[in-house]
Amino acid sequence: MHSQDPLLDIQNLSTFFHTEENIVRSVRNVDLTIYPGETVALVGESGCGKSVTALSAMRLVPMPPGNFENGRILFKGKDLLQASELEMQKIRGNEIGMIFQEPMTSLNPIFTIGDQIIEAICLHQDKSHDEARILALKVLKKVAMPSPETRIDQYPHELSGGMKQRVMIAMSIACKPSLLIADEPTTALDVTIQAQILDLLDELRKETQMSILLITHNLGIVAQYADRVAVMYSGKIVELASVENIFASPSHPYTKGLLNSLPKDTISVKLETIPGAVPHPAFLPEGCAFHPRCAEKMGECEREIPELKSLDSNPKHQTACWLYNKTPAL
Amino acid sequence: MKKILQVQSLKKYFPIYGGLLSRVIGQVKAVDDVSFDINEGEILGLVGESGCGKTTVGRMTLRLLEPTSGKVLFEGTDLLSLKGKELAMIRPKMQIIFQDPYSSLNPRFTVERIIGEALSVHGLAQGSELRKKIEGLMEKVGLSKMYLKRFPHEFSGGQRQRIGIARALALNPKYIVCDEPVSALDVSIQAQIINLLQSLQKEDNLSLMFISHDLNVVKHLSQRTAVMYLGKIVELAPTELLNRKAAHPYTQALLASKPSLDPTNRKRPKPLQGDVPSPLNPPSGCHFHPRCPNVVDRCKTETPRQIELEEGHTVYCHLYDD
Repeated sequence: MHSQDPLLDIQNLSTFFHTEENIVRSVRNVDLTIYPGETVALVGESGCGKSVTALSAMRLVPMPPGNFENGRILFKGKDLLQASELEMQKIRGNEIGMIFQEPMTSLNPIFTIGDQIIEAICLHQDKSHDEARILALKVLKKVAMPSPETRIDQYPHELSGGMKQRVMIAMSIACKPSLLIADEPTTALDVTIQAQILDLLDELRKETQMSILLITHNLGIVAQYADRVAVMYSGKIVELASVENIFASPSHPYTKGLLNSLPKDTISVKLETIPGAVPHPAFLPEGCAFHPRCAEKMGECEREIPELKSLDSNPKHQTACWLYNKTPAL
Repeated sequence: MKKILQVQSLKKYFPIYGGLLSRVIGQVKAVDDVSFDINEGEILGLVGESGCGKTTVGRMTLRLLEPTSGKVLFEGTDLLSLKGKELAMIRPKMQIIFQDPYSSLNPRFTVERIIGEALSVHGLAQGSELRKKIEGLMEKVGLSKMYLKRFPHEFSGGQRQRIGIARALALNPKYIVCDEPVSALDVSIQAQIINLLQSLQKEDNLSLMFISHDLNVVKHLSQRTAVMYLGKIVELAPTELLNRKAAHPYTQALLASKPSLDPTNRKRPKPLQGDVPSPLNPPSGCHFHPRCPNVVDRCKTETPRQIELEEGHTVYCHLYDD
């Protein structure tokens, strides 16, 4: 499947925030690769570090208090953590596009949407204002904006939430990025609009062969749109596998718990729950961060952090759990 | 079955002020002629997209908002005719749980005071008896009584929602409006709160109005489901029937837009086109007609009437009106 080199290769990345009181370990030793043309979903609950991972790849983590403790982020073979700010500006919005959760607050209210898209184009491409406007119209049509010729001169407040998210997508694909980071792109939208936006992103991906890093907490969206899935918990990737394997044979107790806690088609049966709550990232438990909530915990879980390792049955299915991580008997 | 709540052609129009003299220049028909009942011990799910008026309906049934017209009967008493003391007497029987557990608890109050306030306001308990009752409530919702003196900021979202539930239960209500109680919570916590609400409903024979935009949660919890679109109920049926035989094109679209959890089945129906129109200027006739795949001429001019397809399953759609 992956004959090509990875487009994005995150290696052993740790992003911490040094606050006055303590150190918040948002991302801990994360390895993640994204190949050209695929959609990788990063799933997890709030505070698990999925957004910080994405922001790290864009080098948008505020520093200080943020700091990259270790690791590399290779984009097309170049380490983004070593790139200068000027180099990053050329990559952001040009080669890596990003859409945020809140289309309402991500657009500038005092400029027309046309101006905002044209600005993004002119920053990265050698185009005159008129040429950029023609391109802006073209991308607005591409994202299926209704009556783009009038909309282009309107302000964000004149647009609905779904239309604003279309503008965000238009802006981020205008420069034909090879990677699009979509951070909860539909969480703020209604269900019927959610399907429109996700289908649009999927079509654009197929058409332009770009890769998508899809950050979400909605497992239904993961099942429908992702090729591979990385499950995060307390700053670490705890399971990484193809979407089929994650849903058919989850291995990590946390992934299993997440899938079991969803309401099923049967009515009025008690839902299975994961007891307790997510630990604060500044006060992580020793060993595997999930062990206080885990039903299958053993002695080593409280002492040592398990590494992300391939399962014996399937080398492409990786999990960070002592249940599968045993050293072979000598 | 005994009905705890009867709502009859309830309307809420919000005036729009404009112009130099701030005169009323229009109306937002937030809720437009809505009727339904809730049986004793039943959970009624109310689903719809943002701005469809579901929260407004919920608040009017508690008289937290004054309806423009219509009737709300609570255990047979006309809620809207009550005044002063009579209204204060009936208030303890109905409560509300809010969506956002972060902004619905007073940050300067301890848990003890948050849960106990209503009890002392209504003069139902004092001193050690009050303390005992509060501890009992905390136990009921799964909070350790060690937390009695703590403040809301010391709790996680799920625990805060438990405090909100304990507060609502304090006065032994018969009817609770749950306004998106799990939307702000993480998946693994959602299940805990859903289970709690379900066991409370069974133990105390509570009647709940469960407002949500999450069809899976409503399907799991409620016995009957009402679907709202732009201020009107478009379909009402037993939950199982609604999921199996949805009649209204909007309900069908809502159910179809729910992403399936099976990655091997990616045959997605074409999503509904267009946006929800503004309630300021709703489309004529059936409000859904500009987005409806089965639209006929009649939909554009005539408001559909209520049609009973089978017992307990009503729909407002011209497709079923011969």
